[in-house]
Amino acid sequence: MNVHVMKTEAEETLGAQFEKLAARLPGTDWLAEERVKAISEFATTGLPNRRVEEWKYTDLRNRFTRAFEPSDGRHVGASWQAIEVALGGLVSFESARVVFVDGAFAPELSNSDDVGDGIEIVALGEALGAPPDWLKQTLGKVNVPSKADATVTLNTAFMTDGVAVRVGDGARGSKPLLIVNVATGEAERSITTRNVVVLGDRSQLTVVEAHLTLDSAATQSNTVTELLVGDDANITHIKMQGENLASQHLGTWMIRLGAHATYRALQVTTGGALTRNQLYLKFAGEGATAHINGAFLQRHKQHCDTTMLVDHAVPGCTSRELFKAVIDDEARGVFQGKIVVQPQAQKTDGKQMSQALLLSQTAEFDAKPELEIFADDVVCGHGATSGQIDEDMLFYLRARGVPEELAKSLLIQAFVGEALDIVEDEGIREALTKVTEHWLARTD
Amino acid sequence: MLEIKNLHVRIAEEDAEILKGIDLTIPKGEVHAIMGPNGSGKSTLGYVIAGKEDYEITEGDVLWNGESILEMAPDERAIAGIFLAFQYPVEIPGVATMTFLRTAINAVRKARGEAELSVADFMRMVREKAKALNVSQEMLKRPLNVGFSGGEKKRMEILQMSMMDPSLCVMDETDSGLDIDAVRIVSEGVNALRGPDRALLVITHYQRLLNYIVPDKVHVLSDGKIVKTGGKELALELEEQGYAEFIAERAA
Repeated sequence: MNVHVMKTEAEETLGAQFEKLAARLPGTDWLAEERVKAISEFATTGLPNRRVEEWKYTDLRNRFTRAFEPSDGRHVGASWQAIEVALGGLVSFESARVVFVDGAFAPELSNSDDVGDGIEIVALGEALGAPPDWLKQTLGKVNVPSKADATVTLNTAFMTDGVAVRVGDGARGSKPLLIVNVATGEAERSITTRNVVVLGDRSQLTVVEAHLTLDSAATQSNTVTELLVGDDANITHIKMQGENLASQHLGTWMIRLGAHATYRALQVTTGGALTRNQLYLKFAGEGATAHINGAFLQRHKQHCDTTMLVDHAVPGCTSRELFKAVIDDEARGVFQGKIVVQPQAQKTDGKQMSQALLLSQTAEFDAKPELEIFADDVVCGHGATSGQIDEDMLFYLRARGVPEELAKSLLIQAFVGEALDIVEDEGIREALTKVTEHWLARTD
Repeated sequence: MLEIKNLHVRIAEEDAEILKGIDLTIPKGEVHAIMGPNGSGKSTLGYVIAGKEDYEITEGDVLWNGESILEMAPDERAIAGIFLAFQYPVEIPGVATMTFLRTAINAVRKARGEAELSVADFMRMVREKAKALNVSQEMLKRPLNVGFSGGEKKRMEILQMSMMDPSLCVMDETDSGLDIDAVRIVSEGVNALRGPDRALLVITHYQRLLNYIVPDKVHVLSDGKIVKTGGKELALELEEQGYAEFIAERAA
């Protein structure tokens, strides 16, 4: 373990903020100990720097120079109309929704009554005071990375709110559940949220997480979603990161899949000065399938890092990853994908691909695929490519009268579209296509 | 009228000249064929007319309706009515054929100051033209040219050509990879476009296509130069005697 003595200003501030806030954070009686444990763990590890292999391309210690004041959750109120605009078309599909403004549940903007029979949804901030058993048993326990991760420990220490969902055995969502996290106002602040989603056996749900800012103030958001998926359950899990270009976003998904479960995931990132998306997925039951796709579109000096660990701990599971990066100006994209196949996980089928389209000479993409295979009867593979827009395709479109910019935009959309195809719901797929169109049309 | 004057072309950043002084005039209402052995520069000529950037024009000019097109971008040329049917149409995964067709047609219409086609009018037009060219609905549903056979790609080119209403049609080896029935279907599509307001340039290696698309003039291109010009009977001569005569001339 890296123990460092010299603390950065941000690290010092985080410790002091916790001291000040601890007594007021929700879930005092039973969660307090966990929070204290987390902050002392953080005090030991500090913010990760580039000498920590998992953070090789994203030196958080260097980039996270100041820790903003944690949001107190008091907000003047955001209108749903403003959120719809900020979502850039993402809410054009039919959904049940739970909205958090500046890290606090906003019941007046939420409506999740008709999400489906047998589905329980509570706001974590309230529920932590008197948690139902299932929440207490799950929170902080779903596929937590074995090596202490600063983003997760900080989240545990500071989390204030989020969604807790339980889908009963055999229950099915009648519409997608949209979780909106929106930051408002002109003050810098940090927002820490945690979602816990528990799917019973044979259940089904689509969850869409959206992270945005309505104003121009820099936000530091730290969000963790724990997802426990029962046997034969089917979940589609989508995330859209569209925060403003001053914001820093640390997101972690921790997922555990039961036998014969089907998991389809897509992460679309257009926002953020810095975005780190971590995904830890563990196959805990045989015969499950996970498709994890991502698309990030970055420009200016944006930095987007996707780091994932897919752990094949049981036999006969299938994993597929497809990540598409579109990088312009001096932006940088990072993809680190690790597939681990444990000795007992025979008949594993794992494939991974990351592809980048570099739109400028100064754009950068770093790909680090890793396979750790301890079983002998497996099919695994990975690939990474990066290149420019295909000149022959561009000429063909232009020879048919399509102007250069439109032709490029068609080709970029086609490139990204391959990742979006994982979403079966046509309404959501179209909405995400609009998000990419919106990015392409933007000239700021 | 298409006027090519003393056109010299080389591949950008390479020394070798590919076209070595082409002079060619095609008035509207006429169909000209360019024939020649492999490597004679036929496809280069098509690409240069369409505006591909890999070539450097070292001398000469290409005029369409009296104006030089060499400084025009490929899309500006398309708007000016120039259409190249590719020898090897490019496969574009992720771009739906119908989306592409509608985008292209409306981009050109808009730039020409015409109203964009409504969805209904567009659909009607596609259906009608596709039927005539034996382009199936299933083909139209696929991404552009992806998974198409050689013949399907060529029919898609002619479908695009007939939908985009060009005034100069350049067809690069449109017959290659086609069986005899497909040659007939494609030729009927092309012949339907013949008229007093259009100029057609048919680039081909074989005479076969010219049985169906009967040219007003035939030019023989060899080693970057037009070495012979004649009537449609010249194509038949070439079919009998081959290109040996011209290649021998080049060797000598």
